[in-house]
Amino acid sequence: MLILAGPVGEREHDGGSHPERPARIRAALDGVSDLHLGSDLVTVAARAAARDDLLRVHDGEYLDELESFSRRGGGALDADTYVTDTSWDAAVRAAGAGLVAIEALESSREGVAFVAVRPPGHHAQPDRGMGFCLLNNVAVAAAALVAKGARVLIVDWDVHHGNGTQEIFWDEPNVLYVSTHQWPLYPGTGRPEEVGGLDAIGATLNVPVPPGATGDVLLQAMDEVAAPAVEAFGPEWVLVSCGFDAHRADPLAELVLTSGDFAALARRAGAYAPSPGRLVLFLEGGYDLQALRLSTAATLGALVADLSPPEPPTFGGPGSEAVRSAALFRRRAMEELSDRLLAVDSLDAPVTERPRWRLGGSR
Amino acid sequence: MRAPARIAVGYDGSPGSEAALRWAAALARALGAGVKVVHAVGLLEHAGLAALSVHEERARAIVAGAGMESSRLEWCVLEGDPGSVLCRVAEGPDPAELLVVGTRRSSVPAGLLGSTSLGLVACAPVPVVVVPPAGQVG
Repeated sequence: MLILAGPVGEREHDGGSHPERPARIRAALDGVSDLHLGSDLVTVAARAAARDDLLRVHDGEYLDELESFSRRGGGALDADTYVTDTSWDAAVRAAGAGLVAIEALESSREGVAFVAVRPPGHHAQPDRGMGFCLLNNVAVAAAALVAKGARVLIVDWDVHHGNGTQEIFWDEPNVLYVSTHQWPLYPGTGRPEEVGGLDAIGATLNVPVPPGATGDVLLQAMDEVAAPAVEAFGPEWVLVSCGFDAHRADPLAELVLTSGDFAALARRAGAYAPSPGRLVLFLEGGYDLQALRLSTAATLGALVADLSPPEPPTFGGPGSEAVRSAALFRRRAMEELSDRLLAVDSLDAPVTERPRWRLGGSR
Repeated sequence: MRAPARIAVGYDGSPGSEAALRWAAALARALGAGVKVVHAVGLLEHAGLAALSVHEERARAIVAGAGMESSRLEWCVLEGDPGSVLCRVAEGPDPAELLVVGTRRSSVPAGLLGSTSLGLVACAPVPVVVVPPAGQVG
């Protein structure tokens, strides 16, 4: 069974010629329709996230100013990110859709949920929108689960690093954040040495790969680097920042995956879930409409219909060595941080140091 | 303490970043330091979907106008958000020892943007100078 949460953003939050555009939702929905699921497709409407839900991950001042800015008509937040008069309403419904999806899965105790929303979220920091993102949709859902005592795995295979999600859960030991992404590329974070704060050493896992990397490289990252960490972590829920901009047709980056690769990645993510009804995929990037449609169908088809994807998976691109290096750099960074933590503990001093690469204002 | 030998300036072609570059060049001339002009490439610019807002020739002209030898300017384009990019140039091999950024004049409320300069102050391993807009620098 597929639970479709949303859609949000089919018409609102329209930046004209901007690549993060309403037509993306129609393309994703067409991908869902291509599965012909019949009664196995259950659509649940999104609702606006409550302020308390948003405050788990965003600053109140930021929320107030974002709403006010949107109500006044909006404008450009930065060189990449826009706000319109409908952006606030779309963003809070996008953030609430994940909560609705979780409730639906808790009720059904089976199936997979797909949150078909925009604006996307994984770049949104506690106090700042950026990278096309205003509110961090996957983080709002993860934080709600953590508040109920759950351990949450977030798998982020968007081609860009989810700096906002990493920032939000940097010191949260009950969230394991795993990201594969092109490097170098915006936003410039996501090095393997970024492994989490002193309260959550190892709970952030980054595997950057070079331009031209193929699907087998990302699967290697999942199998050799992520899988051992996931097994040790023992997630109760798996949330996926499901960007499709690593597709070879995408205009914003240079990985060369096909929809077949996303199907394989989805099977990996599904295998991390401890039981049926514990997997939620959130639409993030993906800016070529046909690739978005094909990839949505392949990803969800692999999880709920056991369908073969229309494009074969890819092999042989660069990045295998980068994956092995990432594992090595990660291990070293974790050892160094653990040594520092032991040293601090021995002095009985409070742990207050802020990582140098962690940006944004304090919460 | 010794004077910085390597100064990095965030540059996006805006008036604020030009003021920062002008100030950094004047300081570098006085100290005999080098200046690394750093441009951060965002999502749209990477894809060729935004007009290129920065030009190396313009940066070199600003530096020359401040009386600094152009040969001591290093032009550097890096993928990423301005904050993370500037932190990176202050780390690793041959790191910058001083970061210089300008301020933006914008209709967007300050609380919405976060702040590159405040973020840098929080995370940078080296001193950060925030230069006010042109006309306010002595």
